[in-house]
Parts: sequence; structure tokens; C-alpha cells
Amino acid sequence: MTPSLEKISTAWAIFQGLLLEAIPFLLLGVAIAGLARWLVPQNAWVQRLPKNPLLAPITGALMGFALPACECGNVPVARRLLASGAPMGTAFGFLFAAPVLNPIVLASTWAAFPDQPWLLVARPLGAFVIAVLLSLLLVQLPETQLLEHALLSERRMSQPLSTVGLLERSGGLVGDPIRELTPTQSTRLRASDVLEQSSREFLDLLALLVLGCLIAALVQTWLPRSWLLAVGGAPTGSILALMLLAVVVSVCSSVDAFLALGFAAQVTPGALLAFLLLGPVVDLKLVGLFTVLMRPRAIAITAVAASFGVLLIGQWVNLWQL
Amino acid sequence: MIRGTLLIIWGWIVLWSVISGRLDLLLRGVFHGLVGVSGAALLLAGVVLLIRHRGRRERMPWPWWSSATIALLVLIAPPNPSFSDLAESRPQGLPEPPELAFVLPPGQRTLTEWVRLLRSQQDPDLVDGNPVNISGFVWTQKNGPPLIARLTVRCCLADATPAGLAVDWPDGFEPTTNQWLAIQGEMAVAMRNEQRVAVVMPKTITPIPRPKRPLEP
Repeated sequence: MTPSLEKISTAWAIFQGLLLEAIPFLLLGVAIAGLARWLVPQNAWVQRLPKNPLLAPITGALMGFALPACECGNVPVARRLLASGAPMGTAFGFLFAAPVLNPIVLASTWAAFPDQPWLLVARPLGAFVIAVLLSLLLVQLPETQLLEHALLSERRMSQPLSTVGLLERSGGLVGDPIRELTPTQSTRLRASDVLEQSSREFLDLLALLVLGCLIAALVQTWLPRSWLLAVGGAPTGSILALMLLAVVVSVCSSVDAFLALGFAAQVTPGALLAFLLLGPVVDLKLVGLFTVLMRPRAIAITAVAASFGVLLIGQWVNLWQL
Repeated sequence: MIRGTLLIIWGWIVLWSVISGRLDLLLRGVFHGLVGVSGAALLLAGVVLLIRHRGRRERMPWPWWSSATIALLVLIAPPNPSFSDLAESRPQGLPEPPELAFVLPPGQRTLTEWVRLLRSQQDPDLVDGNPVNISGFVWTQKNGPPLIARLTVRCCLADATPAGLAVDWPDGFEPTTNQWLAIQGEMAVAMRNEQRVAVVMPKTITPIPRPKRPLEP
């Protein structure tokens, strides 16, 4: 086999590995979103979520403990939250914090780094801070510039007419009474309807996951990892390199601590933390999935702001630890 | 109809990858059960949808077309990574060894356990003369002689990390890249790059097929 064919063959295998590892988590996320839609009357519980700009993302971030899945599984749940009319801060707080603030990820971080207690505190704390900051930043954008078109339409149907007009909703009945709150009638969906919606959602997300895994596999096959780790002990360089590595490698957050363990000794503490913080929020595998939630501009803002925030945290840790 | 069929295709691919052993090449063993359950769930959901949608026509958006194409490609083209290529592009960096590795007699240590031991115990003289009985693939390095190596994974092939041992290849033996070999011999100390390092001195080298589970935790 020629070297280039060998590389293609290797990229194809990495792609399959990434995809087969992510599918169960995606399915879990879609199943949880579907189950929530079926068991809990739509809109009833999301109305009770705090709308305060600061409390909303904090609540969302803490909701991560309810979903022990990696970042792929959180996307359908966050989408369901947004479509049901949940406060945007809550949904985004959940989306960005849940991949770290969940029991499995915290346990795996502890299992990988039992001798580094600072990391067991810094990772969840850092993820929480990044999630809250990103949520606070994103909610500054108008919904029309932030949310993906189909999701926005779905969300508008769940919002009260007092805040969203019929023209904005693109649907509804003229003459409907304008109420402050959305209707809370508990019209439980049939299980078959949930299966219909969830299967469509799964296939939509799967197509995007396939795209993300393809990109991640190609990039990491042609970008030798040793180049990224060559910067080793340089305080800022190592943080930037490990951030790039986290974006490229795209492994799920429940196992990334074990991967980090492999090169923990070669890099600065700040770089190690940066790797563990950025990957669950931004990676190549997620790029496609995010398009069902946000518009390209909002995705770009998320990527840039998350990277900047993680870089600052990494620098601060290096100043403190080195 | 289409949705049900697509779910069945994907469910079958996922389940087949577990049954056929293809997953052994891609993913760490602890995840196999989870993948298998998700494959079965997708198959079940697909069958239910197919029965409910019998005779109903459905529009198939292009992203579904592309994912169906990829699904068929996955089915047709099994993974066949170049282990040597993967090893060459990644730095060696094994996690701390499990304690069990140290109590195993030298002849029972796997290649990965040898690498872990040598990394934690830098003095090569301590293992000089120890019997070696290992298997691995030939890792052809850009700079340096070929090594006998294994890949370790924590999750999937994307995080594979190489563990390689230096071998004093016998005269006339040309190791072929990616070839799997079983080596019996003993450890010796040799000078490499002006450093004393532990090197495998083979007594017998036997080409073997790729093991059923080539990746190590």
C-alpha cells in the first residue's frame, strides 16, 4: 500500500472509531430528550426555570448532573430545552457545562488524576465559569441572530403571544387571546409520536455527527500530534497547542482525562487544564451538531470566546502552579 | 419507510461491528457493550417505524442520503489502519503502570508492560538477561531503527498511544512495516544514541496474524 493510501485507510479507521464511540451517546441524548417530552407535559416545567440573567445559566450548568453523557448527547437535550421555550441562558448553560459537570466525567477525571487534587476542583469549576460566561455572552445576541432558523420557529410556537407576535411565529390563529404565560395544558404526546420526532431528530444529528467525525479523522491523520506536543513546557505555547489538540482529537469528555494522562507529564498544568476544558465545549466533531442549535456567527462567537476564556484560565493556572 | 430503513441500516452496522469483532480494532473493550445496546435499540426502533409507516412515502433530505452513503461505505470498507503510521504521528506517553505489571515474571510481561516498567525504572541493567516473550507490530520510525510496538487506547483509535521497544534485529532479517511478530529472547543492554538502553535480543522471531484484539488498555 502506498503511503497516501495508508493514510486514507488510517483516517477511515479513526473515523469509524470516533463515530461508533459517539453514536451511543447521541442516541442516549435523543432518548432523554424524547423521554422528557413524553413524560413531562411540554412547557410546564420549563416555565419554572429561573429567567434571571445570572441564575438561568447557573441553573442550566447544574442541570448537567442529570445527564451523564458526553457533549454529543447534550446537543439534542439543549435543543429540546430551547424549542420548549426554556430561558436561553439555562439551555446554553446546560449545553456548555453538562459535558463536564456530570458524575461520569468527574469520576473519570478523579480516576485519571487521583494525585492531582487541584485538577479535580479546577476542571468542574473552570467548566462552570466558562459555561456561565458563554451563556451570558450569547444571550446578548437577539434570538433571530443566535438560533438556527428551524429551532427559532419551534421556539416561537412555545413562547407566549405577549412576547412573540403571530408574524414572528409564522403560525397560529388570529384572535387567540394574548396571555402572559404559555398554555400549560398537559397534553401528553403519545409514545408513537415521540418515536416519530426522536427518530427524525436522531437522523438529522447523525448526519452532522458523521460530517464532524470525518473532519476530525482527516485533520488528525494529517496533523502529527507530536508537532502539537513539541512545545511542551512553554507556558503559553503549551496551552495553545493543547487547546488545538482538544479541538482536533474530538474524543468524548467521559474519557478525555485518560487521554490527557498520557501526556500530562510533558506539558504545563495550565495546558493540561485547557485541554480538559476546551474539548467538551468546542471540537471538530461538534461543529456540525452545533448547526442545529445556532447560526454560524453564534458558533464562531462561541468558539472564539471559549478559546479566549480557556486560554486565560490556563495562563492563570500556570502562573499559580509553575 | 425511509426513516425506519435508515435506522435499521445504522442499527445493523453498529451491531455488526460488535458481533464481527470489527470493534476490537477501533474501540476499547469497555465500550463494546454500550455500542451493542445502542445498535439493538436502533434496530428495534427501525423495525417499529417500518411497520408503522408501511406503504407511506417520505421525503428523504440530502443529509440523510449522505449519511446512508457513508453507512454503506462503512459496511463495505472495513477499517484497516496502519498501526505504524498511527504510532509515528503520536508521542509515546503511557499512563502509570498498574501494580500487577511489576509482580508478573518477566517471561509473562506483555510488550506494553515492559515499556511501562522500563519507563518507570530507568536503569536498564536491572532487566539485563530477563527472558522476553512478546508480540507486536513493526513500527518503522522516520528517525531510528524499527521497533516492536503496540498501541494502547483509552477510548478509541483517535486516542491511540504507541508503546515501542528497541530490538536488536538479527542480520539478514528485514522487518516489514505493520507486520505482526512474536518475539522470544532476552533483554540486553546496548548503546543507542549514546545512551545505555534495554534492547530485546531475539532468539526466535515468528510472523503472526494480527491479534483479534490488537489494542491494549
